[in-house]
Amino acid sequence: MAEQTTLNEEFLDTLEAEEASTIERCLTFKAGDLILYISTRHVIEIINNYSITNLPLVPPYIKGIINLRGQVLPVVDIQMRMGKAEAECGSDTCIIVLDIDSVSLGIIVDSVRQVIDIDLQDVRPIPLKRQQKLLDGMVTMEDGSVFMSVDCQALAKAQY
Amino acid sequence: MDNGMEGMLDTYLFETNSLLDQLDEMLVKDEKIGDFSSDDVNEIFRIMHTIKGSSAMMEFGSLASIAHHIEDLFFYIRDKGIDSLDPDHKKELFNLMFRSEDCLRGQVEKVENGEALDTDMDSFASEINQFLKKISGAASDEPETAPSDAGGGPSSAPDSLTPATNLPDDEKAICYLHVFLDEGIGMENLRAFMIINSLKECDVDFRHYPSDMDSNPDTCAVIIEEGFYLAFEDGDMAAKAEDLMKSQGHIRSYELIMAPQPEPEPEAPKASAPEAPAGAAPAPAPERKPKETPQKAPAGAPVKQNLISVNLTKLNDLMDIVGEIVITESMVTSCPELDQLNRDSYDNFMKSARQLRKLTDDLQDLAMSLRMVPISGVFQKMNRIVRDMKQKLGKDVRLTLIGEDTEVDKTIVDSIQDPIMHMVRNSMDHGIEDTAEERIAAGKNPQGEIVLSATHTSNEVIISIADDGKGMNPDKLLAKAREKGILVKPESEYTKKEALGLIMLPGFSTNQEVTEFSGRGVGMDVVKKNVESVGGVVSLTSDEGRGTTFSIKIPLTLSIMDGMKVTVGRSIFTIPIANIRQSFKITAEEIIYDENGNEMVERIGGFYPIVRLHQFYGIETEVLNPEEGILIWVETSDHSFCLFVDDLIGEQQVVVKPFPAFLNCFELKNYGIGGCTILGDGNISIILDIPSLHTATLEGF
Repeated sequence: MAEQTTLNEEFLDTLEAEEASTIERCLTFKAGDLILYISTRHVIEIINNYSITNLPLVPPYIKGIINLRGQVLPVVDIQMRMGKAEAECGSDTCIIVLDIDSVSLGIIVDSVRQVIDIDLQDVRPIPLKRQQKLLDGMVTMEDGSVFMSVDCQALAKAQY
Repeated sequence: MDNGMEGMLDTYLFETNSLLDQLDEMLVKDEKIGDFSSDDVNEIFRIMHTIKGSSAMMEFGSLASIAHHIEDLFFYIRDKGIDSLDPDHKKELFNLMFRSEDCLRGQVEKVENGEALDTDMDSFASEINQFLKKISGAASDEPETAPSDAGGGPSSAPDSLTPATNLPDDEKAICYLHVFLDEGIGMENLRAFMIINSLKECDVDFRHYPSDMDSNPDTCAVIIEEGFYLAFEDGDMAAKAEDLMKSQGHIRSYELIMAPQPEPEPEAPKASAPEAPAGAAPAPAPERKPKETPQKAPAGAPVKQNLISVNLTKLNDLMDIVGEIVITESMVTSCPELDQLNRDSYDNFMKSARQLRKLTDDLQDLAMSLRMVPISGVFQKMNRIVRDMKQKLGKDVRLTLIGEDTEVDKTIVDSIQDPIMHMVRNSMDHGIEDTAEERIAAGKNPQGEIVLSATHTSNEVIISIADDGKGMNPDKLLAKAREKGILVKPESEYTKKEALGLIMLPGFSTNQEVTEFSGRGVGMDVVKKNVESVGGVVSLTSDEGRGTTFSIKIPLTLSIMDGMKVTVGRSIFTIPIANIRQSFKITAEEIIYDENGNEMVERIGGFYPIVRLHQFYGIETEVLNPEEGILIWVETSDHSFCLFVDDLIGEQQVVVKPFPAFLNCFELKNYGIGGCTILGDGNISIILDIPSLHTATLEGF
């Protein structure tokens, strides 16, 4: 059935070792025209090939619920959550399963890129902070690309 | 604390609580008769002894100390016979016992919450002692027992560190077994006591010294230093015991010593023996005491029974797995590839599948029954509440229990205890008339009655609390509700039933004053909420002047149920079979409209509103014409209406799964969505909650 890529143990081990330092291992992914990252601490697994059951009476950004090996998991379209148009379903579209302070949810992203180390000291606040619904920081990589940080707490809190 | 210790604590709490429950039950029963039976006196003595022993082992000094004093008290009572007490004393004894029970419970609660225990139990202990003194009277003016040092008090520490060869004083003994325990095993006194107990179980007759090792932690040091003695009157017994010793653990060495005849010095074996029964003259104490304890000291000894206690989380896990099996089973049997099998293999497969189905059904029933406990535990607690309130309010009320053996899921029992308690209090406080005269004037038995009953139907438990008191006046309720400003429509439009239902609204209390027991106005709405949280409903009927009856209906189990799958557009909903009355097709002409254009249908002489699910949930569907879809007539305890859906798929047993926490803020439960379930093909179906669906769709207008 669902084909999944579980993050291997090594990541978690090194993660623990680096807990003290400001370097954080993060998963980067594409959502619309943004490249976002989220700490691997919160990432449980990445799945594709799923079928979503729609839920009535919830805001449109909540796509519905999926059955993840017997566990019922809500799925959020992260682009709609940021107030953009619905994510287009492509071949690389997948769901990242997150566990944020024991709130489980999946987010639909256009594609998953890679896992990188980000030094939290390099993360800068976003200038228009108050206008951000879901992002809380940005960082420039050596090759000049800019990644945005997802505010996990905001993500874990559903709202109308 | 390591795990072993926590396990011990769990066991201790479980044991102590069940002993206290037993005590409570006994006290309430006996108080009704106004007398203790001698069996019960023995039983109380045994309970206190056990609590004392286990508390001392867990080093809960205050608990051990209270239990110890009560044990002393009952030792005396048992000795003299309960009939030696005059009625006044008995009454006082009951009050004292109830207070001690509360006191013990208070301490146990503190242990449960991990709080520090009260260290100062002296005042309460001395109260017990004073009572003991009072009943023992001046006649036997033997010295009052020293203040207990079960909790490690300072009073009489091992001041008599006798040399190791010093045999205990026991005139009748002809030989002693002198036993040393392994070094550094900890809690030597209790281990020794356990060895003694297991010997006693094998019908070996002997006395042991120090005789108070089970209750007095100080003896620990003595046993480490000098070992302990078993005194035998009979050489054969000693030999038997010696044999048995070999099979006991933690014993370093033992030797048989012949008693030197005759030993002078008639002093008690240890000066630190507070166990010496009060009320008995000191001299025969060491003689009698050891004889008494053995029969009444199955403290550590396991009573042979076919019961084990299991951690609830394990049962929950089991239930989850059984749920998964049920789902997986239907996944396998509804696998589309099966159609490609040839006919014979398909038949064979289905044969095996049916067998599997039967087994999973059995497994499920069994797993479910494991979680069932009789409701009597909750009911018995009400006895106590009625008793306490009877005294406080000065009302004469009797509580009748019916159907105590009814079994209910453990989680349900836990969640209905408070609601039941509250309703019993309400009935006591508001329901039953204030004075017997009032009742006589109304032509009733001067003694009020509250009937607490539990019965089963096929899938529900119905618990009712009925009183024969003054009942409720709907007009008064309405007036009161107006005063509080909680009416939502003109007064005249309220039916009697609705008016009675007002008392379940937040902020409603019919009593003018707040009493100790009820009347804060947080009562019935909390009751309602608690009951609803386990899927139940509360309803009440009341006849003015005749009494009030509250009924709680609760589904027997919450996790697995029979559901009817229906489609609406692309969604699949599951409707609990228990709520379905009928399903039928209608023609457009059969639909009747009210002034607002709401649809209704006539069925067996009644008119029922139609709720179009696709409309309410905003689901796109092609089935809009009444003739194409199907109506499902559903009913709850007090409402009946029809749902319009696209099609029926079929019946299936489903495992109810709660919605993920992430979605909590949308309060889907208030909009008829009770949970979800995973279907055989791995898809998810939403389970409809008919009562809240009714509230959301039909009551809002």
